[in-house]
Amino acid sequence: MSYLAFENVTKRYGQTEVVAPFQLTVAKGELVAFLGPSGCGKTTLMRMVGGLESPTSGRIVLSGEPLGGPDRRRGMVFQSYSAFPWLTVEGNVAYGMRYRTDLTAAEKKDRTAHFLALVGLTDFRDSWPNRISGGMRQRVAIARTLAAGSEILLMDEPFGALDAQRREFLQVALRRIQRDEGKTVIFVTHDVEEAAFLADRVIVFTRRPAAILAEVDVTAQLGPARSLDLRESPEFFALRNKLLHLVRSTATEDDT
Amino acid sequence: MPGSKSIIGTASTLALVLAWEAVSQGGLVSERFLPAPSVVLVTLWKMIFERDLLYHAGVSALRVWGAFLIAAAMAVPIGIMMGSFRWVGAALEPVVDFIRYLPVPALVPLSIIWFGVGEGTKIFLLWLGTFFQLVLLVADDVRRVPHEYHETAMTVGATGSRRLLDVSLPAMLPTLVDNMRITLGWCWTYLIIAEIVAANSGLGFVIWQARRFFQTPEVMAGVVTIGIIGLLTDQVIRAAHRRWFGYLVR
Repeated sequence: MSYLAFENVTKRYGQTEVVAPFQLTVAKGELVAFLGPSGCGKTTLMRMVGGLESPTSGRIVLSGEPLGGPDRRRGMVFQSYSAFPWLTVEGNVAYGMRYRTDLTAAEKKDRTAHFLALVGLTDFRDSWPNRISGGMRQRVAIARTLAAGSEILLMDEPFGALDAQRREFLQVALRRIQRDEGKTVIFVTHDVEEAAFLADRVIVFTRRPAAILAEVDVTAQLGPARSLDLRESPEFFALRNKLLHLVRSTATEDDT
Repeated sequence: MPGSKSIIGTASTLALVLAWEAVSQGGLVSERFLPAPSVVLVTLWKMIFERDLLYHAGVSALRVWGAFLIAAAMAVPIGIMMGSFRWVGAALEPVVDFIRYLPVPALVPLSIIWFGVGEGTKIFLLWLGTFFQLVLLVADDVRRVPHEYHETAMTVGATGSRRLLDVSLPAMLPTLVDNMRITLGWCWTYLIIAEIVAANSGLGFVIWQARRFFQTPEVMAGVVTIGIIGLLTDQVIRAAHRRWFGYLVR
């Protein structure tokens, strides 16, 4: 039995078909990148996993159970407004456990400290989110979903607003955390390089309505460990170019 | 630099007051129409002892704050409901929009018929002028809370009512305080209208009395008093805003 499965999922808004009948299975602990042109429906699919939108038909099954509305098993990391400005860094991480009744106050405190350390923000725990860098804010959001106990992290172009250096740093950090913690990640991006570097598997989307154009198994070709050296290897280059050509094939003249 | 900004502000105000003084003292305009600021200040000082100016200012401030607090206590919860639940907004917005466009002075006669010339009329007029404006501002503030905040809360297990308290409220609070500060200023406008029409106390009453005897310095002293109260209130709320919402500073 697969861990997460999209079973003939479709989505329409009125007359607009956003997602064509969609089938995909994701293994536990896998990082899957959704790569495709903007507005292709990949974000809609990810939001459906989060329970923030529901399929028009078909269903999404997690560990054998059809998914309904949002709960803390599936955590979101957005590109912007990812941390509450009125809570400190520590407060934001602790917020992930605010509605959990299965943990004592002491356990919540320990977990907060643990995940702050995991994303390297212990020294910034008393800072306000508006006073730290965009990259740190994304780390706050990741720590919050981990503290919440989410099994699946849903990330919607989370590093899209960052400069190249911070982006690279966070990609390495995310990959490390995801493997150490055994989390399943669905990562939406339109950055070919990012998808190739981060993912175990890249799903390349067609234009709307969203359908799978190609599936590329990155881990089979590059192995599971990702370091910055890998970025300069010929194997990585070949893979990146392959993805680039796939994405280019979806472009039309209206894109310019 | 905030320091240089306040220096510029003080200097420009001082220049304006000096120009006014020069125009009046130089005899360019009759003192009957434009008494010099020095004369207005002396009159103001005298009015504190001879005309109970502070008492009247206190009465006016009490009316403004009383009516404003009633209006805010109603506008905040109702506005939050209007902004959070589409059907509440759809049900109330047409009525609120209609009343919002009625000019308060046009409702003075009706208000006197309903409430007589006592405090009821004044409170009602002030409430009318602020509640319907504030409730729409609050509803908009709630709607402007980024959906990411709500969705973040939903995916850590927050229910709808918890989201109102833990997300909507803190997210909108800074703009709410700003909007309250602005609405409180409008309250003073309506107060003077109410006090001119029907009152025997308050700053509007003092100003209107002085006009009947052509006491231009007293009229201006009354106006300046309102200005000073307004300026002080505004500064206090701004300072509180900076203190409470310091986390917004980047």
